[in-house]
Amino acid sequence: MLFDNGFDVDLYMKNISNLKNNDYLYNNDNSNKIVSDKIGLQKGNMFKDEYLSYKGISPDIIEAKTEKDALMLKIYETCFAITDLGLYLDLHPNDSYMYEVYQNYVSNFEKCKDMFEKNYGPINNTFVDSSNYEWIKNPWPWDKDGGTKYV
Amino acid sequence: MFKYEKKLEYPVNITKKNLEMAKYILTGLGGSAGELAAATRYYIQSFSMPDERGKALLIDIATEELAHVEIISTMFRQLVKDATPEELKSYNLGDYYTEHGKGVYPVNASGMPFTATYIQSTGNPVVDLAEDMAAEEKARASYESLIDLTDNPEILNPLLFLRQREVVHYNRFKELYEDYKNKYKL
Repeated sequence: MLFDNGFDVDLYMKNISNLKNNDYLYNNDNSNKIVSDKIGLQKGNMFKDEYLSYKGISPDIIEAKTEKDALMLKIYETCFAITDLGLYLDLHPNDSYMYEVYQNYVSNFEKCKDMFEKNYGPINNTFVDSSNYEWIKNPWPWDKDGGTKYV
Repeated sequence: MFKYEKKLEYPVNITKKNLEMAKYILTGLGGSAGELAAATRYYIQSFSMPDERGKALLIDIATEELAHVEIISTMFRQLVKDATPEELKSYNLGDYYTEHGKGVYPVNASGMPFTATYIQSTGNPVVDLAEDMAAEEKARASYESLIDLTDNPEILNPLLFLRQREVVHYNRFKELYEDYKNKYKL
C-alpha cells in the first residue's frame, strides 16, 4: 500500500521485520538477551530472561487487520521497546549496545508516528500539518475505534 | 511536565460486556495495589531519590503506570458498555451505579474507594524502594487472581501484559534497592 505522500508502508514493515537478520545490531553477542519489539509488546517484556509466564498461559500474537492498524501497531511495538529498554537504560546508562538498540527503536518510532499523523491525524498535539485543528477528533484511545481495534 | 500521546500502551478491544469482570477489574485502578496508587506513589517518591538513576527510574515507571490507569479504565468502559441499570444491579454494581453511573471511579473489587493511605513516601529512598517492590508483587498477585477469573482472551491478553510489567518493575526497583542499600547505608 502506497500512501499519497509516497510512503510504502508494506515495504517499510518488511524492512523493519527483516531488521533482525540484516542489522548489525542484532549480530552482537548481546542480541540474544532481547526479543523483537513485536514479541516484546505481545509478552510485555523485551528481555528474554525476565519473562515469567503465569500457569503457562501465552498471550495471543497481536495482528493488524487494516493498513492503518498495521502502522498503529508498529507505533505500539516501537513505543513499547522504547519504554522497556528505557527502564533498563535508566539503571545502565553506559550500556552502549543497548543504547544503540534504543536509538534504533526511537528512529523507527518517529518515522511511523510521522507517517501515521500525516495520513490519519495527530498522536501528539504538536502535529500541526493540516489546515484544521485536528487534535480533538475522535476516536480517542478509549473509544471503540481508538487505534486499538486490531486485537 | 507530562504530554499526552493519543494511544494506549497495549491494545484493548473488548467486544462483549462482562459485568462480573468489570466489577473485579476496578481493583486494578482503585485498589491498594492498583495502578492509580502505583502512578502516584512513584511520582511523589521521585522527588526524594538521591541520584540520577533513581530520579529517572521512578519518574519513568510512574509515567508508565499512568498508561496502565488508562488501560484499566478503557477495559472497564468496554466491559460495561450497553449494560442496563437492571443488569448492573444483578451483578452487585447497583451501589456503584448509584454513585458513579458508568463513569470511571477508583474503587477496589469490593467497592472501597481509593485512599491516600495506599501510597507511601518516607523521604528515605531505600525504605521507599522496599515499599515499591512489595507494591509490584501485590499488583502481580492481584492480576493473577483476575486472570484466574476469566478465560476470555480479550480480557486475558491485557491482563497478562500488565502482570508482566509488574514483574519487570519489581526487578528494576530491586536492583536499585540493592545498589542504594550498599551505597547509602540507609
